[in-house]
Amino acid sequence: MYKWFLAWRYLHTKLIAFFGIASVTLCVAMVLVVMSVMGGFLDTIRERSRGLHSEIVLDTGTLQGFPYYEEFQQYLQDNHKDVVSVTTPVIYTYGIFRVPATTYTRPSRVVGMRLNEYAQVNDFKQGLHYEHYFPGTTRLGPQRMPIGGIDDKQRLVLPADLEAANARWRESETDAEKKSEYTAHPYEMAMYPPYVTTQYPANRVYAFGDEGPGYVGPENSGVIIGCDLLNDRRNDGDFDRHLARGADIALTLMPISPAGNVTGEPPVRLPLRYVDDSRTGIFEIDDLCIYVDLDMLQHKLAMDPQTLADGGMTKARVNQLLISLRSGTDLETGKAIVAAAWEKFQESLGDQPSMTDMQLLSGVDVMTWEDLQRPFIQAVEKEKVLVTILFSLISLVAMALVGCVFYMIVEKKTRDIGILKAIGASARGVAGLFVAYALAVGICGAVLGTTLGVVFVWNINDIQAFLAALNPQLRVWSPEVYSFDKIPEIVNTWDALGVGVVAVLASVAGSIIPATIAGLIWPVKALRYE
Amino acid sequence: MLRAHNLYKSYAMGRASVDVLSGVSLSAKAGEFLVILGSSGSGKSTLLHLLGALDIPDRGDVEFHGKSVFQRTKKSREDYRNREVGFVFQFYHLLPELTVLENVIIPRLIGTPTFKWLSHRREAKKAAHAMLDRVGLSHRVKHRPNELSGGERQRVAIARALINEPTLLLADEPTGNLDEKIGAEILELLTEFNTAGQTIIMVTHDVRVAVRAHRQVRLTGGKIEKVAATKGSPALA
Ligand SMILES: Nc1ncnc2c1ncn2[C@@H]1O[C@H](COP(=O)(O)OP(=O)(O)OP(=O)(O)O)[C@@H](O)[C@H]1O
Ligand SMILES: [Mg+2]
Repeated sequence: MYKWFLAWRYLHTKLIAFFGIASVTLCVAMVLVVMSVMGGFLDTIRERSRGLHSEIVLDTGTLQGFPYYEEFQQYLQDNHKDVVSVTTPVIYTYGIFRVPATTYTRPSRVVGMRLNEYAQVNDFKQGLHYEHYFPGTTRLGPQRMPIGGIDDKQRLVLPADLEAANARWRESETDAEKKSEYTAHPYEMAMYPPYVTTQYPANRVYAFGDEGPGYVGPENSGVIIGCDLLNDRRNDGDFDRHLARGADIALTLMPISPAGNVTGEPPVRLPLRYVDDSRTGIFEIDDLCIYVDLDMLQHKLAMDPQTLADGGMTKARVNQLLISLRSGTDLETGKAIVAAAWEKFQESLGDQPSMTDMQLLSGVDVMTWEDLQRPFIQAVEKEKVLVTILFSLISLVAMALVGCVFYMIVEKKTRDIGILKAIGASARGVAGLFVAYALAVGICGAVLGTTLGVVFVWNINDIQAFLAALNPQLRVWSPEVYSFDKIPEIVNTWDALGVGVVAVLASVAGSIIPATIAGLIWPVKALRYE
Repeated sequence: MLRAHNLYKSYAMGRASVDVLSGVSLSAKAGEFLVILGSSGSGKSTLLHLLGALDIPDRGDVEFHGKSVFQRTKKSREDYRNREVGFVFQFYHLLPELTVLENVIIPRLIGTPTFKWLSHRREAKKAAHAMLDRVGLSHRVKHRPNELSGGERQRVAIARALINEPTLLLADEPTGNLDEKIGAEILELLTEFNTAGQTIIMVTHDVRVAVRAHRQVRLTGGKIEKVAATKGSPALA
């Protein structure tokens, strides 16, 4: 009993105890912040990765793609309607992206897709910018450039269909704060006074001209562009858009034959029209990808059926087939079913495919979105483990510090320990007193540290904003670099509990040596201690 | 009641060893007030520590109620320190973080298992208050030791030594650090306890203090030398 009583007394009368508590507190807070931020990072990446593809993906990993995808879509439709809900083919290739009005060129990954189907298998549509404020107006088909004009009241107006779409958004948007984005953006006004309206949601760019409102220019296929490829990300995570919607884009492509050779023809040059920008939230994707219509791209890349010299036709090819499962279907079960279906389907083709096609078909893998993202997610997972280990090592330092603090206490308390022993306290009792003391220090430190850590993580973005206001160099998390606008602000309850418990155990462990020393103190020696 | 046989104790001082006690034998009867005299450095404290089982002799033994102290288990020796003897030191040795009351209660706290404490607490507090009352410090219970005078501190130490109602009180120069007047008061207090039946063995180098005792012995050259009895001693009876 006296252990607890004295431990409690020492705890609030000894200044040195506060050093012990402070070191535990800081370590707990630090480890918790790191774990939370890394964990949040991981969760966000996982969440985004899920929305990136579809549940099941058939992929060749080659540029020339694989044939018979339409037949397989039909096969799934006929045989596995209960499992498979939507399927959509995708083409991947590489090209040179250019904005003709400027000198801007970039290599880019070109994704051919059927926008409506694609939007059904993943979250792509949620990341579209103009589509959000002007629902239903983002299309990949041939289209002209919208320009704004000025009405009789000297107000800026867009073509009627865009105005109507915008009105639909305003009606459906219930969040007053989001609606209030519908205000002037002084920064942009200063930069581009002639082109930018103050009437449309902040940071959205339309061109204006005397002939407006209306549509100008030739009918070009639409292109959706990764938001980081075209725009500048500001410190607050939003974008500065410099290019008007509908602007001309030029894309240069290299068609590849089924055997994988670049065809003899000159590179294909495609005039496109910028219809929207896409934000998946993964910088590596948003800084690289542009999205065009599948059928147009397939044709331009000569991946559509071609007439052979002997009069036959080649089969159309794509690089991926995205498959979404009916809700309630387990991912791995779905994968197994689709994989089995794919085997059966290939058998059913018999010797119908050519040798090259056979090779391409045999290269197709059936994967889940997790399989696809695994290397990426695993890398981040490893990072989390690594950083946690590193910071746990720092916590070992805290443990040593607790040990030091306790050793000092024992030194200072030698006389008192002698007194306790002289009045009948046992070695175990005295050692227990210090362990109890360490337990109390650990618990205080863990509680304070967890609180500090949680409060810190919850306000981490404000803290960062404050630091950045003091000195821009102090901005550690730059939305220009990372995929996320904000540092993750969520603390996992189990992480918090785990860190707290480990901290308590560590400080108890740190006290064991000094406690043992205290227990072994010989009463007479201690009493002669002056 | 207490019997020391042929106690030897020496300390290693570098290569040489200093023989502090070389064959001390001593006994005390119940109710006796025994004073051990000796010049500074003669080994009085060493002897008292052995009697109180705070240290272990090189040779010899101490018998308490006919039972060896040094052949007991560690646990039983701790109980001996906790219950059978009370110790009063020259430098008070109170715990500075605790109040007067808490300092007095501590031996009770140590002697009571945690699970029994709750039912025991009230009674222990009462005993501590009563003890402080007897040493005349009932108005100081909430104070810290550093807020007390030397004499008051020694009173607290006496209260602490006696709270578990030990059979034997061992006092190591309890007045050594006090001026004459306060020292006399402390002696008066000890005499009161002795009159009430408390067996006391006190160590001092001050002959004037020794007159209070029933019996005096002198420690010189590591041995008990002279035995002088004062009147009224149970040793003479
Ligand atoms: N731990 C120790 N190591 C070495 N020598 C010691 C130790 N403890 C005591 N001594 C020596 O033993 C001798 C007796 O010491 P002790 O404290 O018993 O004397 P004392 O009679 O109580 O003296 P005083 O009247 O000054 O208190 C002294 O010479 C002292 O130096
Ligand atoms: Mg002494």
